[in-house]
Amino acid sequence: MGVVFPSIPAIEQELQRFPAAVTEEFQRARQRLEPGMTTDDLLAWGSMGVSLAQQTIRSWEVAAEYYRVSSSVLDDLPMDRFLSWAQHGETLCNQSPPVALAYFRVGRDATSMLTTEQLGAWAQMGLGLYKGTWKSSIMAARFFETSPAMLQALSFAQVGRLVGLLDTVTQQSSDLALDCLSLAAETLPRVPESSEALLNLLAAVSAKSWRDTKGSLEGASKALPKVSREHRARFLSLAEKVAASDHGSVAAFMQEASQALSQIPPEAQPALLSMSEVILAKRPTLLTDFFRSGPMVLSRLRDGQAETWFVEGLKLLEENPDAGVAFFKLESSRSEELMESLSSTVELPRIKDLLRMYCRALAGTTVEIASSKDLAQKGIGWVDETEPTTEGKTVFLPPIVDRHQQKDENFEWYKVVSTHQVAHLEFESFGFLYDEPSVSFRDLRPKLTPKRRKKMGLAANQPQEAAQDGQAEQEWLTDAQKFFDLFPERRIALDIFTVLEDGRLDTRVKREYAGLRKAYGRVQQDTIALRPLEEGQAAQEMLIEFLLRLSLGQRMKLIIPAKYEAEARKMARVARRVFKMGTQVEDTAEGTLRVYAILAQIPNERVPQDEQAEYDDNAEQDSDQESEGESQEFLEQLMASQDQEPGEEQEKEQQESQEGQSPDQQPYSSPKDVDYRGSFKPELVQLLNKLREGQQPQGEQQTQQIDRTQLQEMLQNNVELEAAKGDIKSSALFANNLMREAGMSQSPNMPAMGQGPFVHTDDEGGPLEAREPNTFVYDEWDFRAGDYKPRWCLVREKVVPEGESTFWRQTIAAYGPLLGQIRRQFEMMVPESFRRMKRQPDGDDFDLDATLEAMIDKRSGVTPSDKVYWRRNKIQRDVAVALLLDMSASTAEAIDESTRGQDDWDGPNDPAEYMAWLRARRGEGARRQHKRIIDIEKESTVLLMQALSLLDDKFGIYGFSGYGRENVEFSVIKDMNEPLTETVRRRMDRITPMHATRMGPAIRHATRKLELTDAKTKVLLLLSDGRPQDRGYSREGVEKEYAVHDTKRALTEARSKAITPFCLTVDKAGHDYLKTMCQDMGYEVLADIWTLPERLPYLYRRLTV
Amino acid sequence: MSTVKTADVKEIRLEEYVIRTEPYYLPQGDEISLFEVAYHEKLPVLLKGPTGVGKTRFVEYMSWRLGKTLTTAKPKEKADRDNDGHVGIPLLTVACHEDMTASDLVGRYLIEEEGTRWIDGPLTRAVRYGGICYLDEVVEARKDTTVLIHPLTDHRRILAMEKRGTIMEAHEGFLMVISYNPGYQTALKDLKQSTRQRFIALEFDFPPKEIEAKVVAHESGVDSETAWQLAKLGEKVRNLREHGLQEGASTRLLIYAGKLILRGVSPRRACKVAIVDALTDDAQAQRSVQEVVTSIFE
Repeated sequence: MGVVFPSIPAIEQELQRFPAAVTEEFQRARQRLEPGMTTDDLLAWGSMGVSLAQQTIRSWEVAAEYYRVSSSVLDDLPMDRFLSWAQHGETLCNQSPPVALAYFRVGRDATSMLTTEQLGAWAQMGLGLYKGTWKSSIMAARFFETSPAMLQALSFAQVGRLVGLLDTVTQQSSDLALDCLSLAAETLPRVPESSEALLNLLAAVSAKSWRDTKGSLEGASKALPKVSREHRARFLSLAEKVAASDHGSVAAFMQEASQALSQIPPEAQPALLSMSEVILAKRPTLLTDFFRSGPMVLSRLRDGQAETWFVEGLKLLEENPDAGVAFFKLESSRSEELMESLSSTVELPRIKDLLRMYCRALAGTTVEIASSKDLAQKGIGWVDETEPTTEGKTVFLPPIVDRHQQKDENFEWYKVVSTHQVAHLEFESFGFLYDEPSVSFRDLRPKLTPKRRKKMGLAANQPQEAAQDGQAEQEWLTDAQKFFDLFPERRIALDIFTVLEDGRLDTRVKREYAGLRKAYGRVQQDTIALRPLEEGQAAQEMLIEFLLRLSLGQRMKLIIPAKYEAEARKMARVARRVFKMGTQVEDTAEGTLRVYAILAQIPNERVPQDEQAEYDDNAEQDSDQESEGESQEFLEQLMASQDQEPGEEQEKEQQESQEGQSPDQQPYSSPKDVDYRGSFKPELVQLLNKLREGQQPQGEQQTQQIDRTQLQEMLQNNVELEAAKGDIKSSALFANNLMREAGMSQSPNMPAMGQGPFVHTDDEGGPLEAREPNTFVYDEWDFRAGDYKPRWCLVREKVVPEGESTFWRQTIAAYGPLLGQIRRQFEMMVPESFRRMKRQPDGDDFDLDATLEAMIDKRSGVTPSDKVYWRRNKIQRDVAVALLLDMSASTAEAIDESTRGQDDWDGPNDPAEYMAWLRARRGEGARRQHKRIIDIEKESTVLLMQALSLLDDKFGIYGFSGYGRENVEFSVIKDMNEPLTETVRRRMDRITPMHATRMGPAIRHATRKLELTDAKTKVLLLLSDGRPQDRGYSREGVEKEYAVHDTKRALTEARSKAITPFCLTVDKAGHDYLKTMCQDMGYEVLADIWTLPERLPYLYRRLTV
Repeated sequence: MSTVKTADVKEIRLEEYVIRTEPYYLPQGDEISLFEVAYHEKLPVLLKGPTGVGKTRFVEYMSWRLGKTLTTAKPKEKADRDNDGHVGIPLLTVACHEDMTASDLVGRYLIEEEGTRWIDGPLTRAVRYGGICYLDEVVEARKDTTVLIHPLTDHRRILAMEKRGTIMEAHEGFLMVISYNPGYQTALKDLKQSTRQRFIALEFDFPPKEIEAKVVAHESGVDSETAWQLAKLGEKVRNLREHGLQEGASTRLLIYAGKLILRGVSPRRACKVAIVDALTDDAQAQRSVQEVVTSIFE
């Protein structure tokens, strides 16, 4: 501090030299301070300001700020400390007024958190950051600005460390350091508990590479909120280890790790972290992949189980690193199997086949199993993606079940659920016929006439067509629709029907399937236990809930409205009659009529707590048949309820609720679905079935086709759709979906069902699933891992379209002489198969030679042989052959025997280059009218097929190509059991080079075809032009091995299934890899491709004898 | 052909084998009366149907029943009387197999010490003495057997014995019955039209649950509830024909399961060994069928 002025006026006078703002601030502060200060102190205070202002041209701002904050700072600090605070500021101001300005501005916010010593150190830190440059002054200023917040979160020492870190970074880049400071100031206060760890991390990062500091901080600021509080320190220390290792950036790590952690519940996070720690120690490169698979594993497995899985993976990692890596990436069968065996979760895809057979057995029809998700996506009225249901042909089940601790119990749940759904088919819920009599009721249906619901919308606009539409509609009316038309309130009727029908099925299943009874009961008990007693239910709702609980088997403590006990008793009696053995869906319908009649008498008023009563169903003995009187009463009630027009009632209701005349009367709302029963839509299923039936050729005459408009109209007040309406934009779209589902003709803009366009999934992606028809998935062998990648390739089987028959004829004509030769050879194969076998222990007749010998032996006292018969042993040719043709792009290479050298033969290894090279080749070939490899392949095949027509052998001709593992094309030219027709011959014409060569899956698919064929000798003949090549299969030369090994594996698999594989290739460089591929299997490299047409039939004969 | 000879096993000559006690048979339709007419009219009979459905049992039953009502079909006088005086007509069953030749049916020469001796095959015996010759799974037999079957199954009713150079006219009481299972015939092993058009065809399928339950109860001795459950299992498993299983569970297997249950084997286990594992080797199919079993049986 410079001079201490002797008096206030002296100070004031001095301040006059500076802008007025300084004096103003001085005056304002003085007024506040003067009363509580000695004159000396006041003068010291005032003089300090003057000294500040005098420092540099702009320092008057600092002085003004000093005066502004000093009164509040003085509240905290005694005068001596205050002065030292101000002096530190003065020092700063001396260096850089903006820094000092920031220093003073934070004022008391900072000083209140610092001790005397710290105060100095703190100012010193700021000063240290200032390096005399403009940028560093911003940095230092920012430091002071952010100090209060940081001091709140960090200890003083930590702040010091941070400053040290920043200092290091500043030396490299002050911009970066500034960003870091801002980020730190922003992040640290949000995660005070992890500040130490974060600082450690930053230290580690900046020590390694100062550039990553900001990224790490950014990463941390994004990641930390996703990690649960108590695991943050551990997370950061893991990141620190990553930083210390040389693998990957910390920022990326944090992003992946936090992403992974956020996917699993907090209690599972420590497990993931400790696993990651181990992985980092063992194999840091795997960490990224592990973060992808880890959450999946941990969400499927419980603690101990995950541990077991992990330990197994580690063991594998030690023994065979590649296998271990695949294991952790979840790309090995072993990993999946282990997880499956450990997990208590049951996933639908794994038990789909099992359940399909089970359901087929029970239903006696071709039931399919699919995930509820699939149905929801069809947009035909079902919206829930997890609810089990059926649409008449397929049973839809939730994709995953993890309700219980034990796998068995989860599977049991699946079984109960599918049994219930199948029961709809087995006990014919959808077979409802309006005119079919019921078993235990006096039928009311014949006495009632369905009232056609009022037409809305369309009919009003088109009065003339309405009549015609009406007629068509009548014909299309399903029995269920007709039935529900009886009720003014369809929603209530449907709810009653659903409850009664589900109850009927449950009773029936439990009676028919004694073995399932316990499990079924358990599921029902769980359902009851988990069903909340809803508050504020109205009378009708309460009674339907009562009925629902009855149907679930609850007998005691049922809640009913006290004043409707008699009605409840009546309902229970109706329910009992429906749930009797041997009842049909028509009984459910009759029951629905009765319950509806009862409920229609009851206003849907809220039932207060004190008006509720408990009801015990004491299973009073009913007479089996209802009495005349009972049914008459119901009939009258029904007639009365029917007279109310639905529209009127609704309007009335609306009016009432709007005007608030009857606040107790509530609009009816349906009960909560029973999870194991799922959604039941009898009307929709009957409609769908009817639409499907209309599609059957024989049904076309009987059922009139319905068009979309009519359908749309019919659907308009179908209550089963109400829930779905929000998701389906218009009923037109809905009608469209429904018609498509039934396989009916669609509008042209609707794409036809079938194989979709190519989808390129990432090679790093997971297993595939065969969703579309004629697609098949196969495992692929990863030789490095020594394990299969499960469901890795998707084979799409398609039939080759027909072309011209000229190709066939021309080939036959061109190879006339050769064909004759081949034909003779083949003809000779036939008699070869009859052989008379001599000296047999039994047979057709005596073998004269042997008999004579035996006689002589006997006469001469030697024991004669008893093998004295001959037998004609007809060795029946029982051969099945699959010929696999390589249709890859490389077969488009032109053959020029005279000029082409061997070196030229091998294309570039880089796929992109290779393709370009090929295209050039192809163009060139076309121009020169040369034959291509594929042409020779085709011609040879034609000759072989022609010759084969002499034999009884079963043979299939297939082509393969494809692009990527999800698009392995398998083209059928002639299927195993297909006769050699003109169609097949025409198909030969259309065999053209296509994409890449992924041999493994093609071989596996051909193997499957052979497996399904019944023959003693099975041969798989692979005709190719070169090594396997495909995206993610073999690339850049180095990856060749993978493809070769997988192909070899596929061939070995074939052989283990009693199939003889044989590879015939025209690739002259073939020997090197064929040796690996076919080690101990038959293979041949054709030196001269022109010999293929004669060689192929020759090999065929040799292989099949 | 039974040639086993042990001390306590009775050895009966083929043509003397008659069914003496009434086999248990529940008719599914009018097959009994049809068969009777066929026998009287000497119309050969073809029994079609899956395995274990009761074709053999039906033939046995008919052989017993016809013997009861028919006096003309009496075989050799001495070997005919049983305790209650009932006389069946002989039943000669031949299970046909791939290597079965005409000689196996007609007979062959055997070498004896001095020269050879002719022995009749089962078909010759039936033709000679009268009786039902039942060729089970006839399509399995070699094609040369048709040479024998054809002249015996039309108006000629003769058996040509090539090796002996003789022809034998069939006995009054002779009837040819063949069976085959259309289910697992391949194109190679189908019954030729020229053969099948010599027979009247009686089609057999698994009986309705009610009848099958009775059969199972009777044959195995289990109570009617268990029998009903077994019959239900049979019905469900048969739904899987062509959907993962080649054949449905035969009534015979249901009876086996019933017998095991009666002897105290737990129902689930009994069904596993007698039905599930017997039906298929496919693990997936086994598991599915076992799930049906566990649904039905506790």
